[in-house]
Amino acid sequence: MTDDKDVLRDVWFGRIPTCFTLYQDEITEREAEPYYLLLPRISYLTLVTDKVKKHFQKVMRQEEVSEIWFEYEGTPLKWHYPIGLLFDLHASNTALPWSITVHFKNFPEKDLLHCHSKDVIEAHFMACIKEADALKHKSQVINEMQKKDHKQLWMGLQNDKFEQFWAINRKLMEYPPEDNGFRYIPFRIYQATTERPFIQKLFRPIASGGQLHTLGDLLKDVCPSAVAPEEMWLSNLRIDLR
Amino acid sequence: MLEGTSGDHPVQPQPRQGHLEQMTQGRVQIPCSMAGEEDFVLEEKRFKQHCEEFVKHSQQIGDGWEWRTSKDLGDGYLSKTHFQVRNRHIAQDLREKTNDNIEETLLAHVEESLDDSQVAGVCTTEEVIRYEYHVLYSSSYQVPVLYFRACFLDGRPLTLEEIWGSVHACYQDRLQEGPWDTITQQEHPILGQPFFVLHPCRTNEFISTVLTGPWKHNRHKNYIILWLSTVGPVVGLSVPLSYAKVAPEQNSSTDSAESSSASSLPGLTFQYFAYLPYFAMRICAEREVLGHC
Repeated sequence: MTDDKDVLRDVWFGRIPTCFTLYQDEITEREAEPYYLLLPRISYLTLVTDKVKKHFQKVMRQEEVSEIWFEYEGTPLKWHYPIGLLFDLHASNTALPWSITVHFKNFPEKDLLHCHSKDVIEAHFMACIKEADALKHKSQVINEMQKKDHKQLWMGLQNDKFEQFWAINRKLMEYPPEDNGFRYIPFRIYQATTERPFIQKLFRPIASGGQLHTLGDLLKDVCPSAVAPEEMWLSNLRIDLR
Repeated sequence: MLEGTSGDHPVQPQPRQGHLEQMTQGRVQIPCSMAGEEDFVLEEKRFKQHCEEFVKHSQQIGDGWEWRTSKDLGDGYLSKTHFQVRNRHIAQDLREKTNDNIEETLLAHVEESLDDSQVAGVCTTEEVIRYEYHVLYSSSYQVPVLYFRACFLDGRPLTLEEIWGSVHACYQDRLQEGPWDTITQQEHPILGQPFFVLHPCRTNEFISTVLTGPWKHNRHKNYIILWLSTVGPVVGLSVPLSYAKVAPEQNSSTDSAESSSASSLPGLTFQYFAYLPYFAMRICAEREVLGHC
């Protein structure tokens, strides 16, 4: 993992320039200026938009404000997906900055999970980490950690602290020397065109013959429709490896 | 997305015991954790088979379950919709707050609604709630998982706080110890819509307990029935006793009652154990009416 540190840092520090605009039907006391922000790809919308919320609440009356939610070109944005995933799924072919519309009314109950506090985000994030470790290590590594280690993972993400996060996460990315990899690879394949939110299946890193599986092998196995047989041409696929 | 079991030992619970603990003391000997012994793993194929048997029996007794297959990948889930009447009232001796925002305790009653005359001196309004339950398979944890959603007849969905508040009083202690480990809102992995999920925390622990060691021969019993009869009542879903008659390994027959009477005694004990939480729930419900809970 140490030789990959540059890649890890690039992934961690990826940013998307975003322009937040208040929905036109929201009731304001004066004109609301758009708000610009660099969003971390690996974080979650509701975790990094406190300033956005404050900015727009300044021009609104308190009774007009309930739970904030975000939308892009009519599609409610699922805050529980990483920001980078949302951008790649919905807006990767459009010019920057990414234009997101901010709402404070008419929460779309059928589309979005509620997010009343940071606890909800933490619970979701930790659930993802735990499920990934169930696949990688039968939950042994995550269960052997103390609560303070779990907290450090979360605080590292929340406060954008790469070293703090990876001090713990590196343990989740190791495997015993006698094994050649994790038990199963934790992955999800997202496609904007399907009702099913993602494809997730059990997939071993090593083939029965002992050779290492490649990403192409995985895609051919679980999502053959997205892969042209002659060449590995990835269309409309967003892969989230945790 | 699901949580595995916590690696920490939880803080010891408050001295007050729930009814479940009181009832099981000295009655059913539950062996110590079987950690170290083989884990019973429910594979997806077996999950589907047990669901099939479950639906077959449901159809026989009109219990309303059906299997839904997804069009794209061929996986699927069990589904049932039912309506429940909920009485909203202020319980005099049960002013527990599950959340700082809740000012009233909401009590949900399985199947029957309270007779108003039994609840002294309170104003009651009845509301009909539509519950939809789905049973999906988690390949990550290799267990079934219970998803559900609930809304009023006008379409307004229940909030997480209302759901927490409607968890049966017997389970409130456990819920308050770790609400985020128990019931949360999540995205349905096939439909992509918000559902509530009962976390499979310790599913493997308690299932393994009943399917290993002295009860290993019970492995051919229907996993779905065992599991659902235990977790379902926590969220208002009851599994009629008639399911105990289902004998998976045999050909389907209308005389399933006869085949179960031929079971050995440990088998019957197992079936009793599987329904212990159900019985506990019923007794708790009745005691609540009398104001003892």
